[in-house]
Amino acid sequence: MENNYPFSEESINSSISFRSLVNATSYPGRHFQISKLKKPNILSNAAATILITLCDNESNVYLSKDFSTDEVKDWLIFNTGAIVSDKQNADFAVGDWESLLPLDEFKTGVPEYPERSTTLIIEESNYKKIKCNINGPGIKDKLQIELPNPELFINNSHLYPLGLDFYFTNDLDILSIPRSTKISVTNSEY
Amino acid sequence: MNDMSKDKNIDIQIYNFAYLDENTKRMIRRALLKALCIPGYQVPFSSREMPMPYGWGTGGIQVTSACLIPKDVLKVIDQGADDTTNAVSIRKFFQKTANVAVTEKTSDASLIQTRHRIPETKLKEQQILVYQVPIPEPLRFLEPRETETRKMHALSEYGLMFVKLYEDIAKHGHIETAYAYPVKTNGNYVTDPSPIPKFDNPKMNNNPAIQLFGAGREQRIYAIPPYTNVKSLDFEDYPFEAMKANFKCSICGSSDSYLDEIIVSDDGKRSYICSDTDYCKEQTQLNSKEEDQ
Repeated sequence: MENNYPFSEESINSSISFRSLVNATSYPGRHFQISKLKKPNILSNAAATILITLCDNESNVYLSKDFSTDEVKDWLIFNTGAIVSDKQNADFAVGDWESLLPLDEFKTGVPEYPERSTTLIIEESNYKKIKCNINGPGIKDKLQIELPNPELFINNSHLYPLGLDFYFTNDLDILSIPRSTKISVTNSEY
Repeated sequence: MNDMSKDKNIDIQIYNFAYLDENTKRMIRRALLKALCIPGYQVPFSSREMPMPYGWGTGGIQVTSACLIPKDVLKVIDQGADDTTNAVSIRKFFQKTANVAVTEKTSDASLIQTRHRIPETKLKEQQILVYQVPIPEPLRFLEPRETETRKMHALSEYGLMFVKLYEDIAKHGHIETAYAYPVKTNGNYVTDPSPIPKFDNPKMNNNPAIQLFGAGREQRIYAIPPYTNVKSLDFEDYPFEAMKANFKCSICGSSDSYLDEIIVSDDGKRSYICSDTDYCKEQTQLNSKEEDQ
């Protein structure tokens, strides 16, 4: 009988998903692929995979307005036991770029415990994209990518070793910008 | 599935894939990702009791367990050697609980768990190197209180470490520390490279592979992402020097690999051999090919 769990084979699927996350986090600015899973329609496969692979009953998850539906909440709570929380206490936050702003309400960690910070999962939407150069750990020389509101990412990297960590999700695609990544805008007109 | 022995099928049913349960893996995985986002910072995690004693790689084995995927090719080394007790047991452990392929060849491995060495063969992108770490806190022997060392890291207050290196110079004329030589990761956190010889320190810098560190008893996980600046601490007038015994391997003749000193006779005669058994094998094969030609 086919089950309704997100992963058809939990321990195998979660390990493969996590490995993609390790690669994405280790090589910021590069695209990595994950597989399909059973999830609410509004969530991308990539965003759903991050939640299912990482969240448990110790995780506070903030769902921004369009994503804060009963379907998403039921799915998340049933499958992970995670706590749906407000912005200030969130360990994970899911939403499209505009609905997650302003970023300064999320926790960025404290000097003794910089890891106590929010991981943002940003779903693809029609935000204005600006060309940026990125370098730092995980990036050989430099890479060019497109980011919304680069100044917010630049501010975030100035908080290092505190700060927020970002995953951009689009269907099966995942790209990470951790706090350690340095960003500069290529277009001087901006 | 046909070539799998009956016993192996049973083992896979007994254990969750790669031994640890899913909840434990989730907790370790969250710690690992934060560790990669904050290079060199030690993330606390609730380490589990493993079916082996502390000091035998309980941290490394938990990190490996959380990272392993079915198509991985696993290599395990202890002081560079694939055939020592610790390496053999850990390799067998994951063959039994995850049914993954294993290898002794560094270039064929997708995940390498190591105790106290970095392989001589250059690592590649997306290869994972998991270190077994006894004492993750580089400041621990200088300041025993966790509350204090945590504050020192938060304030980047590393004067004490430089005093220690300076005292080495004052006493011995050079920096005496030969293994677990402290490094600064991404210009920020002073990090313990685990007890690798300082000969291996330069290999950590700007390495294309992913370096993960697990300390089971001390309950810490940390990471050095690929292409990260890793600098061994030193002074302008006493620069860091990677060193090794100034001999050739008596098996393969290599003069650029790290050597183990072995006593070969009752009257204390010494011989030197590569500590990296895979590298030594490779060099020996290369040599015999050259002789054939």
